[in-house]
Amino acid sequence: MQVRSISLIAVAGWLAFALPALHGQAYRAPRAADGHADLSGIWEALNTANWGLEDHSPQAGPMWQTGAIGAEPAGQGVVEGGAIPYLPAALEERKSNFANRRTNDPEAKCYLPGIPRANYMPYPFQIVQSPRGILFVYEYASANRLINMGKPVEPVSDTWMGTSNGHWEGDTLVIEVTGFNGLAWFDRAGDFASDKLHVVERFTRTDRDHLQYEAAIEDPSVFSRPWKISMPLYRRVEKDAQLLEFKCVEFAEELLYGQYKKK
Amino acid sequence: MVVLCAFIAGITFAQAKAPAKNWTPPKTAWGDPDIQGVWTSDDSFGVPFERPHVYGNRKFLTDEEFAEREKENKLLASSIEAGVTPNAGYWRQHEGVDYQPYSSSWSEYARQTSRQTSLIVDPEDGRLPELTQQALMLRLAAIAASRRKPRPESWEDINMFGRCITRGVLGSMLPVMYGNGTDILQSPGLVVIRYEMIHETRIVPIDPPGHPHPHLSAGLRAYMGDPRGHWEGNTLVVETTNFIGGRVGIGADGAGLKYSEDLRLVERFTRMSDRSIQYAVTVSDPKTFTAPWTVEFPITQEPGYQIYEYACHEGNYAMADILSGARAEEAKEGAQPAAK
Repeated sequence: MQVRSISLIAVAGWLAFALPALHGQAYRAPRAADGHADLSGIWEALNTANWGLEDHSPQAGPMWQTGAIGAEPAGQGVVEGGAIPYLPAALEERKSNFANRRTNDPEAKCYLPGIPRANYMPYPFQIVQSPRGILFVYEYASANRLINMGKPVEPVSDTWMGTSNGHWEGDTLVIEVTGFNGLAWFDRAGDFASDKLHVVERFTRTDRDHLQYEAAIEDPSVFSRPWKISMPLYRRVEKDAQLLEFKCVEFAEELLYGQYKKK
Repeated sequence: MVVLCAFIAGITFAQAKAPAKNWTPPKTAWGDPDIQGVWTSDDSFGVPFERPHVYGNRKFLTDEEFAEREKENKLLASSIEAGVTPNAGYWRQHEGVDYQPYSSSWSEYARQTSRQTSLIVDPEDGRLPELTQQALMLRLAAIAASRRKPRPESWEDINMFGRCITRGVLGSMLPVMYGNGTDILQSPGLVVIRYEMIHETRIVPIDPPGHPHPHLSAGLRAYMGDPRGHWEGNTLVVETTNFIGGRVGIGADGAGLKYSEDLRLVERFTRMSDRSIQYAVTVSDPKTFTAPWTVEFPITQEPGYQIYEYACHEGNYAMADILSGARAEEAKEGAQPAAK
């Protein structure tokens, strides 16, 4: 009797795990300490969105002295529908940004990356789910942001990384980001927004090693309508993976202050 | 009288060393001691880093000395609250410098005055141990080099905090004019320590006691080092190595004597009450100091205190101003006929 009930439970258990897979049902993420989906870990985009959110062909790098090193890779865009719906004046500004991107991109100056860009720069970031909120720690420029998971708060001032209020929709972490200072770019191609930017991000774990990332972008002073980017983020599966330090100020000082150096 | 004061100081010291009675240290949902929150070192305003010789081996102020420091702290607090510049505390060193006082939302001050005579608690005399011969020579060379340069020639002549690169681990904790917050978050297997000023985050993996997982190799170094943590009872112990040497000072804001790449810090965070954590850090750097030494002070929660985005480098207009100002002065001097 006892043996039979154990085997029944075992079969039932097997069915519970096997059936959803057989029927192609959604993956259920493991639980964090608070019972919500566990998104913690070190993640990184594996695409060229940081070079350009839209489709882009390969291009030479900024310096012939370094040959093919620094050349820009080709990439398929991450914008749903293909093109960013700029208003005419904003499109002109984006063209001018592109022309001056080697020096005017905030990344060249080692400035804070803003959102959504921080999530698809070619550096890993770590998600820490704590009772005080969900912390995103980015390797690039020691950037970080604490997502408030409590009662939403109003931004107290305009910032590079914005003010993040999060909530769960099922197993999807939804983050509303506002309170931007309008100085960050979206990529090295000069795509940009203003301080009216409003981003709604969605992070969904689709299996052990992938997060699906989506960002809905709204800024009526720059875009004719809301638009969206989406991409997978990949877990850094190396056994000893840990977030390292990439402080880039030192690499930007000649660009920023070289003209004031004693000759 | 002296005996009595020493006795009282002894009691205070004992109280500071043990968590309050009838108080149960909080635990996280997964059973670790809970040290989360935003903490500041503000309550150590007025405490010198090294102990002034007048106190000898005495670790705590007498009642008279304490009253004096408390008066100064209160003057500082009330002036900041009123938005006027006090002639007290860290403002005093700005005498004769043309500056604008920061408003009360910037400047920080002590809520409770400390009785410590110094932040260094070991060695006994509360002073930095002797420097090694090598460190002494480097120090003298640095002083000589700075004398040869009346003005900064490039950003490399400005310290690492002035360049918004780092304040170092200890330098991020020691109390200065503002930005003394330490934000601690936990999740299973991790303690995360976040500072406001250079928005640095230390992700500390927690290992079973006695079984730390190995540090990064010596070939991989960082300004904030490579931390490993474990719990000893209610105390979080963080051991950090793999520092970049020769660029950051060991003192507040990363100023002061520069440590070497062999720096090893052992920090201890012990929750003493709902309001406070006792923080201690032992500094070992055999290339720089002839003996290890320890700094200890409480970090406390203050109502309403939170961490904001401090975009230091992005707003570092001072760097361009300092360097362009220096070049302008040189140009002016160059235009004048040479003095005989």
